[in-house]
Amino acid sequence: MDKLKIVIAGPVGAGKTSFINAISEVEVVDTDRRATDETALRKQRTTVAFDYGKLTVSSGQILYLYGAPGQFRFDFMWDILIKGVAGYVLLVDANRPQDFYKARQILNFIKERINTPMILGLTHMDCEGAWEAEEMALALGLIDKEARPPIVTVNALEAKSVARCLIALLEHLIEKTVLNKG
Amino acid sequence: MIQASALKEQLENFIRKTPDVEGALLVTYDGLSIASVIPSNLDEERTSAMSAAMLSLGDRIARELNRGVIERILVSGEKGYSILVGCGEDILLLTLANSDAKEGILFLSIKRLVQEIQSLLKD
Repeated sequence: MDKLKIVIAGPVGAGKTSFINAISEVEVVDTDRRATDETALRKQRTTVAFDYGKLTVSSGQILYLYGAPGQFRFDFMWDILIKGVAGYVLLVDANRPQDFYKARQILNFIKERINTPMILGLTHMDCEGAWEAEEMALALGLIDKEARPPIVTVNALEAKSVARCLIALLEHLIEKTVLNKG
Repeated sequence: MIQASALKEQLENFIRKTPDVEGALLVTYDGLSIASVIPSNLDEERTSAMSAAMLSLGDRIARELNRGVIERILVSGEKGYSILVGCGEDILLLTLANSDAKEGILFLSIKRLVQEIQSLLKD
């Protein structure tokens, strides 16, 4: 388990590109283009293929990070990116309830195709009006507390915070592997 | 402001005049259709998004591997060609042709179409 492919998924503007930029040890391969759809109201540029970054963790593991586009018209990219993935982070902006349904649809899209460990990363939790983790889990349809993936708060602009999120995912991966073997 | 219908007309002319071309599509770089004349069995929204993703990746490859400014992306399949070219700053053109098409003629015709569209957009 030394090379792991990790996908960062989630709705537009959740912070996927920032997440990878914050932590990658190589220059990030991005495919950002000027946004001309409703995305343009919130940010100038948007990912159209994927972002790629790399991170070596102290235990000698190498994480290959792939950021997915957020818009549904790019769902073919999700399909391509999740092939061979070890685990994924679903990033959701806790301050944008109008996006929760989209996040839920993305989650369902992936779950229908692969059964891979994932964690929920909540961004913009410091914003006024941000939803609580518990409420978010319910909104995303993660009702069963026992079966629920780990939920972490992430500041996608801060390397330390992104690192904590990835460590949480790695721990979850190990936990799942042990459980499956046991 | 140029009308989408004028662009569509341009694409229709191109398809009619160029042998073996089956479809053409103008797309924004973030993957939204501007004008489209593609076979009815293709999904316009999906085709647009794919075109943008592909050209963006090709662009990135050319840059990272020091191949200079990208001229075109050619996907050559058993049943024909998908060709992507930039068409001004914010627009890309996808051309679909069947396997009888001659690459040289195709490239030349596409080049002309791009010039025509660019001059249309300037007006």
